[in-house]
Amino acid sequence: MKRSDEDFGRQAKEAFDASVDKLDAATLSKLNRGRQAALAELGKPAAQWSRWMPATGVAAAALVAVMVLQAPAPVDEVPTSVTDMEILLGEDSIEMLEELEFYSWIDTVELEGDVG
Amino acid sequence: MDVGTADFAVSCTGTLETGTRALQKEQQLNRFLAEVERRALRIAEIAVRDRDEALDLVQDAMIKLARNYSERGRDEWTPLFYRILQNGVRDWHRRQAVRNRVMVWFRKKPTEDNDYDAIAAAPDPAGRAPDEELANSEAMQSLEEAIRDLPARQREAFMLRTFEGLDVAGTAIAMGCSQGSVKTHYSRAVHTLRDRLEEHRPGSSGPVEG
Repeated sequence: MKRSDEDFGRQAKEAFDASVDKLDAATLSKLNRGRQAALAELGKPAAQWSRWMPATGVAAAALVAVMVLQAPAPVDEVPTSVTDMEILLGEDSIEMLEELEFYSWIDTVELEGDVG
Repeated sequence: MDVGTADFAVSCTGTLETGTRALQKEQQLNRFLAEVERRALRIAEIAVRDRDEALDLVQDAMIKLARNYSERGRDEWTPLFYRILQNGVRDWHRRQAVRNRVMVWFRKKPTEDNDYDAIAAAPDPAGRAPDEELANSEAMQSLEEAIRDLPARQREAFMLRTFEGLDVAGTAIAMGCSQGSVKTHYSRAVHTLRDRLEEHRPGSSGPVEG
């Protein structure tokens, strides 16, 4: 017999809760550290990233923007160039752009690992 | 008591009240985050398929909530927190897509004689921690796989409504859409998941007609 939506939702929640209860101690410790870091932010003014954005980040963004605009897009991915630019120039992307060589190295190592 | 002493006493009282309020707010936020963090982690983990990435996303959401919305009422925190988290998950997927496009420039092509190595490609059972093994019970694993195959908005609606227990209004705030859209996404998600998982149900003879 087919379950009702309500029964299905309840069983899904039970399975989910069981998986939450089984989180390991190391993960819980990381969550606790993250929470303490968040609480330490109380009372601090919101960060204004643009004031502190390193010049190297801007230069890297410009370089990568050119590369993205000219890179052949895989068939199954169709983000627009404008969207790419928004992401590349976003606050969280600066770190990635500054460590482009590192990511490139990671890629190389992964490929060598795959074939080695 | 002279005027100077009275002023000092009033000043001290004011400072004490401010400090007490700040402490209460911190304790309240601490309780809220402790209550929500584990479920949030699992929800993020299902969405991005990586625990470390999920931990980063959850911590980022906690920091943004504390920094920008700590003065809001306690009842507003849950939908706000999940809105931040869902935005983080969406950004994460977009960054992954862009990163893949950027890496096209650096990636080396594998040589022909090493295109595929069955041993290297095989899963390594020893690489999984016992805790991880336990957490991935068969039922939850099937459910997770089915959830991951849902369209993103359906996935969000289902996890927020079912796993976090948000009501329709709260889910709409968290997803940044109308309550009608939440109902539609949730309903489609439940029917898709239920039909797909029916075959894994103990005692079920397989997929059931609609």
